[in-house]
Amino acid sequence: MEIRSPQTPSGEAPRYTCPYCALKSDGRSGTCPQCGGPVDVRALVSPARWAEVPGQKGEAKVQFGGSHCRISGSYVPAVEADLVAGDGVYFAHHMLLWMEPGLHVGAMSLKGAFKRVLAGMPIVMAEAKGPGRIAFSRDAPGELLALPLQPGEAVDVREHLLVFATDAVAYDWFQTDIWYKVQTQRGNDRETEIHRPLGLFMDRFSAGSRPGLLVLHASGNVFVRNLAEGQFILVKPTALLYKDPAVGMQLHFEHPATTWSAYGAWTQRYTWLRLQGPGRVALMSAFEPVHGEGGSLVACSPATQRQW
Amino acid sequence: MMEGLHTPSEGGAPPAPAERIQCTWCQGQNPKDARNCRSCGAPLDLRNLVSESGWREAPRLRDMTEIRFGQSTCQVEGEVVPVAEIHLGRGDSVYFEHHVMLWKDEAVPLTTLQLPGGFKRALAGMPFIISVASGEGRIAFSRDATGELVVLPLHPGMEMDVREHAFLLASHTIQYSYVRIKGLANILFGGQGMFMDRFVATQAQGLLILHGYGNVFERTLKAGESLLVEPGAFLYKDASVTMDIQRQKLTSGLLGGFGMSLARMTGPGRVGIQSMYVHHATGE
Repeated sequence: MEIRSPQTPSGEAPRYTCPYCALKSDGRSGTCPQCGGPVDVRALVSPARWAEVPGQKGEAKVQFGGSHCRISGSYVPAVEADLVAGDGVYFAHHMLLWMEPGLHVGAMSLKGAFKRVLAGMPIVMAEAKGPGRIAFSRDAPGELLALPLQPGEAVDVREHLLVFATDAVAYDWFQTDIWYKVQTQRGNDRETEIHRPLGLFMDRFSAGSRPGLLVLHASGNVFVRNLAEGQFILVKPTALLYKDPAVGMQLHFEHPATTWSAYGAWTQRYTWLRLQGPGRVALMSAFEPVHGEGGSLVACSPATQRQW
Repeated sequence: MMEGLHTPSEGGAPPAPAERIQCTWCQGQNPKDARNCRSCGAPLDLRNLVSESGWREAPRLRDMTEIRFGQSTCQVEGEVVPVAEIHLGRGDSVYFEHHVMLWKDEAVPLTTLQLPGGFKRALAGMPFIISVASGEGRIAFSRDATGELVVLPLHPGMEMDVREHAFLLASHTIQYSYVRIKGLANILFGGQGMFMDRFVATQAQGLLILHGYGNVFERTLKAGESLLVEPGAFLYKDASVTMDIQRQKLTSGLLGGFGMSLARMTGPGRVGIQSMYVHHATGE
């Protein structure tokens, strides 16, 4: 199948705009050359304006630099990168599926190793340099999401979801400052626990002067929505996949109305992540439970609340 | 509105009987050119997938299929871990276990459903608080596992027993209760715990959506017909189907043997099973 990138003019003006990454191309190929999204299907957008990321099924080919990768499989997909000389990718070593013996693989040291150990994040990223082939997968059902970054663009991603990033993408992280402390009674003992539903850190990936590519793994299906400036949405904290850095987030607690008692109403608590636009927000449909909703809330990061 | 979707009000007067097509999954009536059943979302233009022994695969809902109930709609999104996005009309509500909420509009109010026997349910590990979301507004649900959404419209008079924690949501016209599983052997070896959820449609039709792990298969048993199923695979059954646990001893001569429990389901009625399950007896 022929794939023409906008950098290789086909002699006619680009007339197709990918609904998932906004790349303009001639639309002749079966998939977007930048993110792998299919061009032969309509964008699947729910009435609430969540766009379902279609999954890069059918050996979608994604170009980055002189290299490319192909995403194949459906329930537990794998991505195979064909790196040319001079191109490289970095990744967490447990994502590696297979590689050619001649590929050069080394370690990419990261700052803040001690804090990362405390947070359970990898302290060493592996990096592979072309030429050669290397493939990745994560041992969980879900989707692989190719997320192109234009020069100057950045995205905040939940920890542990990176499959690989190209060497044109800078890697950094920041403290989420999303936490709450609950107290529970166990027998005669009172236990206090801190819960961080997003983890202690989130990854931030940014493209410098060159475009780059991120490949992420999401559990289940992926849905993306653009929030207008000042628009709010409540999402399950553990369902967040990525967001634009401009999207603000804080905790939000809801207490459902109940006829039992005022005390009962107050102790019933649902924990949300309140996201505020402008910017993109992506959710995954399989998410871990939010812990500590049954305990007594004693402290938390900045939050709003509502009693129904 | 998605392709192939037909609302009940389209076209003014209801179509003549000859112009209707009946859904073989839920028996709902649809216009003859509909691609998906408007009551349960099942594709109408695809053949049923039935094994030689009579197990029918639950319909694979097309991505973005829309289902109507009351003044509300439900859109099924995704295929690996599907999401049910509900647009609640004014006066409609759905109930659910709160941990399956994925996102919601800020303005959608939440309340709780009053349940009898809260203490017993807490002891049995079942939710003793069921949450209720009311219209008008949007709310979405998903469960954290690969599987299928099973859409079961319940007509007045229908009673359905469902494995605990397997229901994703139900519309407010369906009554929710639970049945205690009788017999110590059934509790200990049945893989169900002490209770099963029971959903009853009394006056009006309602919508029940379950989440099945892996793929879901359904078989209709005749009166007196029996079948043994792995207890962990049981997903739902008509209330008319009885369930007992049958112990099977497997011996291997000198080395002794071990016991195995299977659920004996006896008709008449439907039985639904899921292909991905936990083996409760061994914890595997």
